[in-house]
Amino acid sequence: MSFTVTCPICGKRDLYEFRFGGEERGPRPDEAGLTPESWCDWLHLRTNRGGPQLEWWYHHQGCGTWFSIWRDTLTNREVRPLEEES
Amino acid sequence: MKFKNKSLWGRPPMKSSYDAVIIGGGIHGLATAYYLAKDHGLTDVGIIERRYVGYGGTGRNTAIVRANQRSQENVRLYYEGLQLWPSLISELDFNLMFFNCGNLNLAHGEAAMSALRLQVSTAQFHGVISELVDAKQCKELVPYLDISDRPAYPIMGGMFHPPGGTIRHDAAAWGLARGASARGVRIHQETEALGIGVENGRVVSVETDQGTIKTPRVLIAAGGYSVLVAGLIGLRLPIDVLTIQAMVSQPVKPFLNHVVSSGAYHVYCNQSLKGELVTGAHMDPWPNYTTLVTAQYIKHQAEGLTELMPAFRGLRFMRVWSGLADMTPDMAPIIDGNDPVEGLYIDCGWGYFGFKSGPVTGRYMARFMAEGRCPDILEPFTMRRFNETRFLGEIASPVYYGPWN
Repeated sequence: MSFTVTCPICGKRDLYEFRFGGEERGPRPDEAGLTPESWCDWLHLRTNRGGPQLEWWYHHQGCGTWFSIWRDTLTNREVRPLEEES
Repeated sequence: MKFKNKSLWGRPPMKSSYDAVIIGGGIHGLATAYYLAKDHGLTDVGIIERRYVGYGGTGRNTAIVRANQRSQENVRLYYEGLQLWPSLISELDFNLMFFNCGNLNLAHGEAAMSALRLQVSTAQFHGVISELVDAKQCKELVPYLDISDRPAYPIMGGMFHPPGGTIRHDAAAWGLARGASARGVRIHQETEALGIGVENGRVVSVETDQGTIKTPRVLIAAGGYSVLVAGLIGLRLPIDVLTIQAMVSQPVKPFLNHVVSSGAYHVYCNQSLKGELVTGAHMDPWPNYTTLVTAQYIKHQAEGLTELMPAFRGLRFMRVWSGLADMTPDMAPIIDGNDPVEGLYIDCGWGYFGFKSGPVTGRYMARFMAEGRCPDILEPFTMRRFNETRFLGEIASPVYYGPWN
């Protein structure tokens, strides 16, 4: 089984060159009006989609770029971007 | 000799309503159902399992049991769990093949030794037998260890925990399934949960691909798949689900009398009663719900093992597999109920500790579900701890925070 990720600079490379950076969860919330619940929600909680998700990767053993891709968590394959759903 | 082809548990049709529905036919779900019926007289219980009993983490772990965790809350629970096995064997009248061989955790540096010192103190405070050993004592326990300066990370010492050992994991699932079924619990395999019905803040039903079940109580105990089940009602959890790989070698003569593990080499191994070397345990550090394996880790495993015990060179791996580990930030489980939805209970986030904790958690979870109040021993594991940033500190040194840890 080979796993690959497409780096915007280096192209398609072995997944083990990369570090996973978490699912896309939007910008860090404003400090103003931040409650323990909303902070916990952003910091700790995950949507954990079973299927394609937008997520961050870091090319740790390569060019050092942070970028995002779509990957299907049920097959562990990179997939084409879904329609923008943010 | 002719064996009767009799199944261990019944396969009655699914009812349209139950007093409690358990999602997940693994060790946690089965144990909860068993104790609901046995201790609380709640026999109208249905277990729905997407695949078959023991398909998930229950049948994929490396069957090690122990109580040498780091934090007090965990040690208390795991120790009770460890003590439960022998009585469970006679109670279920099922041979769980408990091999009480003890666990040896190796340390390869001063920092690791101090971490073990803390773990040993915690264990001894709670009356759990665990002791620090030096490299020479490690060698006496496991003669094949290389304690010279040759390895990249030479062995400095370790922690020996005699009460631990291994249990046949399938037997535990089958025994509990049989025990639960004999008391009236219905187990429905190949039945997938598609939704959980909530009305006015209360659980009312579970949608499955075999029809709707009315019920006032639902337990999500689906191991690594719990996050997907929780997602059915939009419940987000502080969990990353990673695959963890394990493998067995060809069988050889008995040579390894203890479970040996090394944090630095990310390796643990023990010899099964059949003679195979059972070993794991690196995780692919990105969330996914597959059980795929990679050549990368077979190589990694072989390198680690042969550094620790050079005698393993030439031994062949026979089988490799993987399972899901639902990791929380503090490596302690999430056990909660009636919050925020009345009647919805959750028992997940065990990471790779799910098997050893199964029966004891099931016993307390059953009390939780029968009485509606969380037993003291499970209280620390509430999901609210993350709102309060009150971590249970099972990780000695959380350098990074995330699945790449």
